Amino acid sequence: MSYALPHPRNQLKGPQFSRRTVMKSLGIGAGALAAPGVLTGCSGGSGGSSGEALSLWNFYGDDGTDSPQSTWWVDLVKKWNENNDQQVELRYLTNATYLDGTTLQTAFTAGEGPDIFLLSTGDFLRYVNGGVLRDLSDKMSDDIVADFQPALLDARSVDGAIYGIPFEAEPLAIYYSVSAFEKAGLSEGDIPETWDQFYDIAGELTTPDQFGSLFATTPGYYQNFTWYPFMWQGDGRVVRKDGTVAFDDAAAVDALDFWGRLIDDGYAARNARGDGASDSASNLGSGAVAMQQSGIWDIATLRQKNPDFEYGVFKLPHPEGKESVTSVGGWAICVNADGKDPDGAAEFAVWAMADQSKEGRERALAWNTEAKTNMPARESVIELAQDKGVWSDGPLQYFADEVAPTGRAEPRLPPEVYKAVSDAIQNVQLSGADGKTEAAKAADTISGFMSTYDGASVAY
Amino acid sequence: MGRNWDVMRTSARASNKARGEARAAWAFLAADTIGLGIFVVLPILLALVLAFFHVSGFGQLKFAGLENFLQLASDRVLPTSLAVTAIYGGLFVPLSYVIGLALALLVERGFPGVGLVRTALFVPYVLSLVVVAIIWQFLVVDKTGIIPQILQVINLGNISWLGDPKYALITLVLISVWYQAGYQMLLLLGGLGDIPRECIDASRLDGANWFKRLWYMILPLLKPTSFFVLLTSTLNAVTGMQAFDLVYVLTQGGPAKSTTTMPFYIYEQAFTYNNLGYASALTLVLVAIMSVVVGLTFKATRGGRFQ
Repeated sequence: MSYALPHPRNQLKGPQFSRRTVMKSLGIGAGALAAPGVLTGCSGGSGGSSGEALSLWNFYGDDGTDSPQSTWWVDLVKKWNENNDQQVELRYLTNATYLDGTTLQTAFTAGEGPDIFLLSTGDFLRYVNGGVLRDLSDKMSDDIVADFQPALLDARSVDGAIYGIPFEAEPLAIYYSVSAFEKAGLSEGDIPETWDQFYDIAGELTTPDQFGSLFATTPGYYQNFTWYPFMWQGDGRVVRKDGTVAFDDAAAVDALDFWGRLIDDGYAARNARGDGASDSASNLGSGAVAMQQSGIWDIATLRQKNPDFEYGVFKLPHPEGKESVTSVGGWAICVNADGKDPDGAAEFAVWAMADQSKEGRERALAWNTEAKTNMPARESVIELAQDKGVWSDGPLQYFADEVAPTGRAEPRLPPEVYKAVSDAIQNVQLSGADGKTEAAKAADTISGFMSTYDGASVAY
Repeated sequence: MGRNWDVMRTSARASNKARGEARAAWAFLAADTIGLGIFVVLPILLALVLAFFHVSGFGQLKFAGLENFLQLASDRVLPTSLAVTAIYGGLFVPLSYVIGLALALLVERGFPGVGLVRTALFVPYVLSLVVVAIIWQFLVVDKTGIIPQILQVINLGNISWLGDPKYALITLVLISVWYQAGYQMLLLLGGLGDIPRECIDASRLDGANWFKRLWYMILPLLKPTSFFVLLTSTLNAVTGMQAFDLVYVLTQGGPAKSTTTMPFYIYEQAFTYNNLGYASALTLVLVAIMSVVVGLTFKATRGGRFQ
């Protein structure tokens, strides 16, 4: 099936120039485009004619180690290359370069983006509005589409066109240290369910050498991603479905103040160790904090880095009288619309992440339960996991049975909206500002931006 | 006739030698000139051009006229970022100079192991800024870092050095000073070595104590070196990588924008918002401010000669 979507690039109004035209008229090579760009570290891309190997940029492998994640990607590409003329070549970038850095974007800016790459929902609108994503729906049969959890596919779709294939789902929960609970005279029966209970327990767990809790404190997409569920729990949103701004509603204000109160009273850390608040091994595992909000991925991390550490998991706390809701993140594979062979790249992407064969499902299961600990994005893989009893006990079972059903896909918002929300979170959480004032300021900024926004639909 | 030929031959040889020297001079200058042209002049010209375009970050350009510059007036973050940069520079430049000078005076005289001490003081400067940032993140992290643990003895263990807007910027300044002081020490050590020994000896014979010798002899004679040190550290503070790398690794501009220096804000505009055109306009503002500061400094000091 094919969808005719007006290409977002064609939605710009007024006289336009391509980058190459302008550079050519200036007599300047493309390589130096990144001018503000005293700061950029531009990468080489994979220009050239069709027939060359397609480049696949990722932050897992081949990283030169035999880690399960790297090996999975190496095997994936090897398998494809053995059976196809159009070869694929992995290019590994470190987390810092790929997730928070500029390498991917500067490559696209210079017209040398990778043919295939990974993208998070948080960054999706930037790329789809930039017109660099190929619609993959013509390569996906109805059966394939039906196999995916609708919310995860919707988050990567615009008007029926599918611009990314999710291959994992990463819900958030609270991890806690069993020994910290025991030292404070607490037991499983004291596990908090509501915000007020969480606040009290965090206070009891706070000592001169340990914070009761840790939420993300560094500004960025990750912090927003971890904060949204607290707003959702009060039925709040950043933007309503009709496009109007809801960020100044009580739900957002209360969620901002909840995070701020924990920091103000010293029950939550202002900054984190190691790789930050998504790194439980360095924080919870080291005893620096007693409870930490993190994702399902940390089951594997703790298993590898702190195998003897005893921990438990519970659902995100919620306001009194409300239900627990969590954010579900995860990555999708995308194809460069202007790459060497977008058609061939799309075929690879669909085979890699949506292959309906038994081997394809086994491969997806291995990624989600062996190489990493995620929830699969596909129903058939979830069924396979259940048949095999992969989640028969422990924290993975808890995530599968209790946490995942409360999940909502990570919102996709334009950078300007994400930044306004981020500023509000930062000001209330770390600067002691009033939630209501900051929410109103952010809502004002978002309203101003949304009144001129004409890109792909904003979700949630 | 023979003498004329000799004169002509000598003159031709001199002319050939001059041409050869000129060619050699151009050849020596070429590498620097080409490097500066490609890596400094060209990006400046491109930034100038891009400031008049909306650039989406994906190669789409649309002429914007003066819109990017008009946007500067309504940018609510810009004044904050300029203030953060000014405070950072205002604290970093004098602090790093004073500490660099103190270290230079300390290791100027020979004593057993002075070479080792000089090397140890210079070592931070050869480290990657990212490594520096990671080391300090480990040292100052809340409660469990070594520094908070030590400060707990005097009841200051609860300060969040990087997580509290009141302290985050000063923490960055102190880390920057630690990083740069060894380099400045080395430059000032060179300057101290150029001061004629007899001047110092004469002042000592005249009964000047250490402080008077420093104030009336050393500092005035050290002016050209001090000028260079202060100027380069100002440039480093406002536009240098330390104003970006440390922020990028340690705070990402937070908490609550308290460490959003101009280089980091330009980065955010370019690579978070995809506004490369506006980022170029911001870059030009920063370059203009620095040009004025440097120009005034040169004028006030007569090009650093102080005459």
